[in-house]
Amino acid sequence: MSSSTGFDYEGVLHQCAQGDRHALRQLYEQEASRLLTVVLRILKNRPLSEDVVHDAFIKIWKNANSYHQELGSARGWVYTLTRNLALNALKHTNRQVLAEPDFLLDLCDNQVLASAEESNEMQALAEDHLAQASLQTCLEYLEPERKLCVLHAYVDGYTQDEIAKLIDKPLGTVKSWIKRSLNALKECLK
Amino acid sequence: MNKETPKTPNIDDQLAGQYVLGTLTVEKRSAFEQRLANSPELQKEVNQWQAHFLSITDRLEPVAAPQPLSARIERSLDELEQPPKPITQASTNPIASFWQNLVLWRGISMACFVLAMVLGIKLHTAAPVLSEPTYIAVLVQPENKTPGWVIQTSHSNQMQLVPLGAVEIPAGKALQFWTKAEGWDAPVSLGLVKKGETLKVDINKLPPLTENQLFELTLEQETGSPTGKPTGPITSIGRGISM
Repeated sequence: MSSSTGFDYEGVLHQCAQGDRHALRQLYEQEASRLLTVVLRILKNRPLSEDVVHDAFIKIWKNANSYHQELGSARGWVYTLTRNLALNALKHTNRQVLAEPDFLLDLCDNQVLASAEESNEMQALAEDHLAQASLQTCLEYLEPERKLCVLHAYVDGYTQDEIAKLIDKPLGTVKSWIKRSLNALKECLK
Repeated sequence: MNKETPKTPNIDDQLAGQYVLGTLTVEKRSAFEQRLANSPELQKEVNQWQAHFLSITDRLEPVAAPQPLSARIERSLDELEQPPKPITQASTNPIASFWQNLVLWRGISMACFVLAMVLGIKLHTAAPVLSEPTYIAVLVQPENKTPGWVIQTSHSNQMQLVPLGAVEIPAGKALQFWTKAEGWDAPVSLGLVKKGETLKVDINKLPPLTENQLFELTLEQETGSPTGKPTGPITSIGRGISM
């Protein structure tokens, strides 16, 4: 379960589309723990996060037939669906963004540290997608503050408003940092 | 592929990236989602960004997904597969009232019970009973996977649920024993567990036990689940195997 290498996400979605429950179970074994990790990070509420992951698997089951090869990364598809449910759930909950400066600093440190650190482990984790490893490399080119904005948005699911308050910068600055970071990443990933 | 909008790919890249990051405003997000629904190209862009960014969250310390969650997903799938039966119209729906006819089911289960008894007695007197376990399941606590119960069928017609340690049941509550095999519509109750007792179930009342059949104990009201389906938290869960 430590690596997603070699798992046939596309095949599993096709089997789900044909009503093969075993395939969904395989996907659960493969990905549920990671999905829960991602959702929990955003919602910071265990029962709610389990609800979201439950709903995600039901939705994957129902919508598997709308996935086809043309749509690119099947794993990306699964996460887009799940993260959207998590972001929607955010509207119905009072997640606390404030008052955790130490935690946030640690988080940032960890991220910065981890990104700056050994690229070997990173490659091991993402070896199934060469492209994924290169995102890590591309992130290196971003200034730490801008990188943080991107990470807060993606990892924590924070809004640009929340990020602006957190790092004490004008909203406009955060917005343009994120836009430019995306452009830079896109350029770098080419 | 021809595009229905004159927007440049650059802007679309940008929007797809922002969509994945979750940084679009509510209006822009829903506008983008509308375009997304009709554009495989945009969807591909989104999935691509997502696959890239995933490499970041793949590095978070993973949280274990509990087994009950998978059981819950299976239950929801079961409900999906059943033909829709609106609960609000239960009294007027002949199918629903059939399923909810307590007198009928009591009658049937009584008849089955009597039949099972008769057959059981006949079997006992006709052939020697095998004492080797033929089918076994270990039920574990969902949180820490500690084994709590063992199910075994050592007689051809009886299943035993044996506690492996002291059983704590809160006052006013009971543990209800359920099973569900692949393809069944819903879990079937096998009875309530009493403190310090080995629950014995006549398996002649059940369809044949299958590989991987799910068994679970849920915490319910003292008199059992009011709905006839598991409603409380799962305290132990496991799957059966033939020996």
